[in-house]
Amino acid sequence: MILILSTIFLILLIIVGKARGFKTFILFYTSFILIATYILLMKLGFNALAIAIIICLLVSLFTLFGFNGVNEKTKSSFISIMIILIFITILTFLVSKNANIGGFSSDSIESIGGFSYEIGYNMNYVMIGIYLVTSIGTIIDTSISISSALNEVHENNPKLKQKELFESGMNIGKDILATTINTLFFAMISFFIGYFLWHQSETLSLMLNYKSLIQEIIKLFICFIGSILIIPITSYVFSKRILK
Amino acid sequence: MFIKNNKILLIFLTLFSIISIVFVYNDYFLYQESIIHITDIKNKEIKIEGVNEKNYIQTIKGTIKNGPKKGKILTFKHTGSESSVYDELYHKGNDIFVELSNDNETVVMVSGVKRDKYVVVLFVIFVDLILLIAKKKGLLTFLSLIVNIVITGVAIWLYHFNYLKIGILPLFMLVSILFIGLSLYITNGKSKKTFAAIASAISSLFISFGLSFLIFKLYKGNIPFWTMEYVEVIFEYENFFYVSVLLSGLGAIMDISITLASSINELITKNPHIKYHELIKSGKEISKDIIGTMSNVMLFTCWTSIIPMVVLATRNYMSLANAIQYYGEIELIIVLTSCISIVLAIPISLYISALIMHPKKEALK
Repeated sequence: MILILSTIFLILLIIVGKARGFKTFILFYTSFILIATYILLMKLGFNALAIAIIICLLVSLFTLFGFNGVNEKTKSSFISIMIILIFITILTFLVSKNANIGGFSSDSIESIGGFSYEIGYNMNYVMIGIYLVTSIGTIIDTSISISSALNEVHENNPKLKQKELFESGMNIGKDILATTINTLFFAMISFFIGYFLWHQSETLSLMLNYKSLIQEIIKLFICFIGSILIIPITSYVFSKRILK
Repeated sequence: MFIKNNKILLIFLTLFSIISIVFVYNDYFLYQESIIHITDIKNKEIKIEGVNEKNYIQTIKGTIKNGPKKGKILTFKHTGSESSVYDELYHKGNDIFVELSNDNETVVMVSGVKRDKYVVVLFVIFVDLILLIAKKKGLLTFLSLIVNIVITGVAIWLYHFNYLKIGILPLFMLVSILFIGLSLYITNGKSKKTFAAIASAISSLFISFGLSFLIFKLYKGNIPFWTMEYVEVIFEYENFFYVSVLLSGLGAIMDISITLASSINELITKNPHIKYHELIKSGKEISKDIIGTMSNVMLFTCWTSIIPMVVLATRNYMSLANAIQYYGEIELIIVLTSCISIVLAIPISLYISALIMHPKKEALK
């Protein structure tokens, strides 16, 4: 099934996007391999948080410079993404450190029942790492959209001052934001539908306190926060660097 | 409107943040379950023969925060493991749900951390940021998110009580039209552009869903439905899978359709005499730029949800390839179909937007 769908995906990409479509396909499967590597490193017992950050770095490097080339747009995006990554890591760590956010709750007992729980690996750090890796996709996407659009604005109107360029980045960002929030919400919606169908006959306070739900809500909010904050930061970094 | 005035907005957000956070740190009265606030904790490591794992006995001292014994201080023991797959180790300052004995004197069982405050803190940061950075557009985005959540809730409720007497798939097909119409209308206002985007998004969604549905029906034996989450309880699990396929890429399709509608609108505004085939040609150039990181967003947001399960399985005895295949295949199928619908949405949106917005259309009649 994966093979059939991948083939269709590839053919459509090449029809619509020609060479760029093919590159998209390569990018997709490179990211897939990076995520698999990330899991492999966790299996081998490396520090979950450290490898999550390294994977985020690699994904950013590959998507920006490998896929979009080395230029002012991608350099500014890279700097902005690194700033956000540091911020999100601190935020996620502060929020999740004491919240015992990793692990499974009783509603997934059937899936995990066959395994030993003594895995000698802290699931809380696994979860913090997952939050970072999940949010990096949308952060890169938003950042590159803004710096490309700003580059276009700058080329059409090179006389714009830094402040005006920053403002126009913020305006572009506002439009992107609405669709990004929707994309993220719908990407995660089927979990919520499944979850509430499963727990539909429980009391409200019980229903809302399962770890599996909280994990997913926190993930959604962290993605939201990352994709909002990247807007002013990319606008600022790009407008500062291009007019240097 | 208040949102245009920075000072008022700042005051409003500060008040909103303080009130929400103070409230959630003191909302013990909302819960029927007993809650204990941990004031002191001592960990003692225990060695279990043959287990590669640190286990601890925690001596917890805490105050009961609600119910008839509010204010009473209790001390009790709790065991947990470092890896916290199914149990937890608590920290000083945690609020935990406990089950008290009938006389309210001792703790029978600890059932977990009260996590609402973490969610509310993140929610407050999200609301503050979206309003501060995107102002009016941020408010509209937030509104459309709330509307979508409410629609989802109502749809689940309707399905649960079976008021409409229809299956989950037709229900969510109807709901997805509502999602598209309302989201795009709320965030973009009433215009020809919005109309073109709505029309493109709906056609893209159903054309690509039709295609994937056909493929799935043809190769039905190759879909491992049984590995889906929550499959045990959902009666129509096969249709639930189709609902996931239908909805996962919906946000991204809307993204594509509004981007293309805006670009076509831009082209027509700049050059009102542009010919139809020129419009399509420029649109195709724009399409190439749109293809890009969107499929990666889907991969990172959807597929990473399998990681905890795969980590547990591989840290046990499973090989990485087996675990990814077993736990990741159905999610990857959903991600790939979303990616296909994203790519399909580009030409569909291009032609529909151009058809709807091209000024010569009236003259051709």
